[in-house]
Amino acid sequence: MKISVDGVEYEVAEGRTILQALDDVGVLMNGVDIPHYCWHPKLSIDGSCRLCQVEVEGVPKLQIACNTPVAEGMKIHTQSERVQSAREGVMELLLLNHPLDCPICDQAGECKLQDYAFEYGQQHARTQEPRRAAKKRVDLGPTIVFDQERCILCRRCVRFCREVPGTGELSVFSRGDRSVIETFPGQPLANDYSMNVADICPVGALTTKDFRFKIRVWFLEDVPGVCTGCANGCNVYLGVANNRVYRYVPRRNDAVNQTWLCDPGRLSYKRIGADDRIDHAALQNADGIPVAVPLEEAIAAAAERIRNVVATKGAGAVGLLVSPHATNEDLFVARRFLDAIGSTQAGFAVVRGRGDDLLIKEEKAPNASGARALGFEDAAGLLSRTRGGAVEALVVMGHDVLAAPYAESRDALERVDTLVLLDTHRSPLESIAHVVVPVRHAAEKEGTLTNFAGRVQRVQPAVEPPFEALSEGEALWQIAQALGLPGFDDPYDVRAVSKALAQSVPAFAGLDLDSVPPDGAPLAGAGD
Amino acid sequence: MVISAETRAAIDAEIAKYPKRRGALLPALHLVQKQTGWISPETAQELAAIFEIHPIEVMEVVTFYNMFYDRPQGRHHVYVCTNLPCSLRGARDLLKEIEQHLGIESGETTPDGRITLGHEECLGACAWAPMLRIGAQYHENLDVETAKRLLDELK
Repeated sequence: MKISVDGVEYEVAEGRTILQALDDVGVLMNGVDIPHYCWHPKLSIDGSCRLCQVEVEGVPKLQIACNTPVAEGMKIHTQSERVQSAREGVMELLLLNHPLDCPICDQAGECKLQDYAFEYGQQHARTQEPRRAAKKRVDLGPTIVFDQERCILCRRCVRFCREVPGTGELSVFSRGDRSVIETFPGQPLANDYSMNVADICPVGALTTKDFRFKIRVWFLEDVPGVCTGCANGCNVYLGVANNRVYRYVPRRNDAVNQTWLCDPGRLSYKRIGADDRIDHAALQNADGIPVAVPLEEAIAAAAERIRNVVATKGAGAVGLLVSPHATNEDLFVARRFLDAIGSTQAGFAVVRGRGDDLLIKEEKAPNASGARALGFEDAAGLLSRTRGGAVEALVVMGHDVLAAPYAESRDALERVDTLVLLDTHRSPLESIAHVVVPVRHAAEKEGTLTNFAGRVQRVQPAVEPPFEALSEGEALWQIAQALGLPGFDDPYDVRAVSKALAQSVPAFAGLDLDSVPPDGAPLAGAGD
Repeated sequence: MVISAETRAAIDAEIAKYPKRRGALLPALHLVQKQTGWISPETAQELAAIFEIHPIEVMEVVTFYNMFYDRPQGRHHVYVCTNLPCSLRGARDLLKEIEQHLGIESGETTPDGRITLGHEECLGACAWAPMLRIGAQYHENLDVETAKRLLDELK
């Protein structure tokens, strides 16, 4: 059916409310600005904040756009004088008891109350009565702090806990001007998705303990990226300043993570700037102790050792244990490396953990599906062949192989002539590797990742590592160059690799770096 | 278990009257409070199990209504009306005097568990202001001395 909003016609679906219909069409707050607090596209309708009132022709009173169903030919006005004055009235009411402590509030800069107070608020309060005093720092649970004074009782957090994780920890207690959000005695806000309540809180009432007072949000640049905590590939914005990632917040993608992010994934940003990053290349000396060397030296040494293995045992004794943390481009380079050297010894190891029905997947890496799509098999076979002596030079990406169910395979890794480790973080593998090359995190490089459902999504450099590091793909490329392998003559260029991947692997057709849309696209044949 | 078998039977009888189970929550709260005097977290949890809702949803209802109590109550409820006509006739001073006399503030219970004191909006006895109620009994046309004597007589 057709509706008209401020004179512009939209084709919308029947049975939707005005806000839902405009959100479906993609114009809400993106051409049609209807301020709202309590309505959220992924939660049930509450209708409590009253800010979204609009004028509907033929209806005497203003209607709340969140809960008014669209009707054929409906003519809606969102900017009329009556609507403006209603917004001013609602803002005055919502601000009656608000502490206006923006200078010490973490939400300042991304606060809807602040924005609309600026747009629709009065310069001076007309009341002289004291503002309602309430608790400023309520510890709601392990992740969230609550400021009762700032709360405007939109109930988004209450509905979220009931409707998304289904845990229902939060509620409104009492009524009228005594209403407050509370938890049940002895049942704190503690679920795998608790930190989303801070995202959806339109004011500064709910803030995360992790991000609280770390940095003013206007210093942050929001770089679109993908969470690497598990195979779901939730879309995020990386909040970046001073070459450091301060937080992940969810980036809406209705095909992947809606508007949510799990707590473990959200906190996985800490892995990027972690203290246990491998920050220098190393070679094992005669006593078996790793000694720091320049990166070029490590690459040259890796090539030299692999060359010797090829000379004595043949090219088939060279193996690649790839990482599901590497990008599709990195893995494609690995595939070409194997083809060029003439070996089929390959596999990938992935850590498994707890999953759920919502976002959290059992595979704790972002690109296991990419590894499968590029023909890599589970590492079990490679490890058993290595133990049997078929592999003498093994290039290992990451240290997922140390986890169950591969852990007992450590003896296989210890017995090879040459172990080249390409890794982001420190692990016991360093002590048995002959060559260690520091590599980039997904937040430090260009590339694409394939999530569990076969959706290819792009990552890009949000920060630069404060040490010399290569992507797994570039490290392998340089080793291949040093070995003089065919097809690796040009300097490494991730875009060229990406184009070659899209051209030569049918599943990735049309999915090179610059063609993948911001919300990703499914592998050919993966469906969506 | 806080809720007695007898109360539970009465709750089940209420549930049978409603199309949706949770519709009987209000009568159930009345029944339980009659038995226990207040709704403790344990009671809320038992009720939540009966009504197949989150315990916190029971507390929502308890805290919404003034006459459900989320903490232990005294043996007598003394509520002073402080709405406009009573206030014009000195009810707020009366409440202050009573607070001093009992050594507690409105909303609190005496340490011996004898009296819970509160104030209330309009009990509909404006013509006989100021007034208070002790339980369901009204006491009207009060002065401070009469009020104190009434309270002292409570066991």
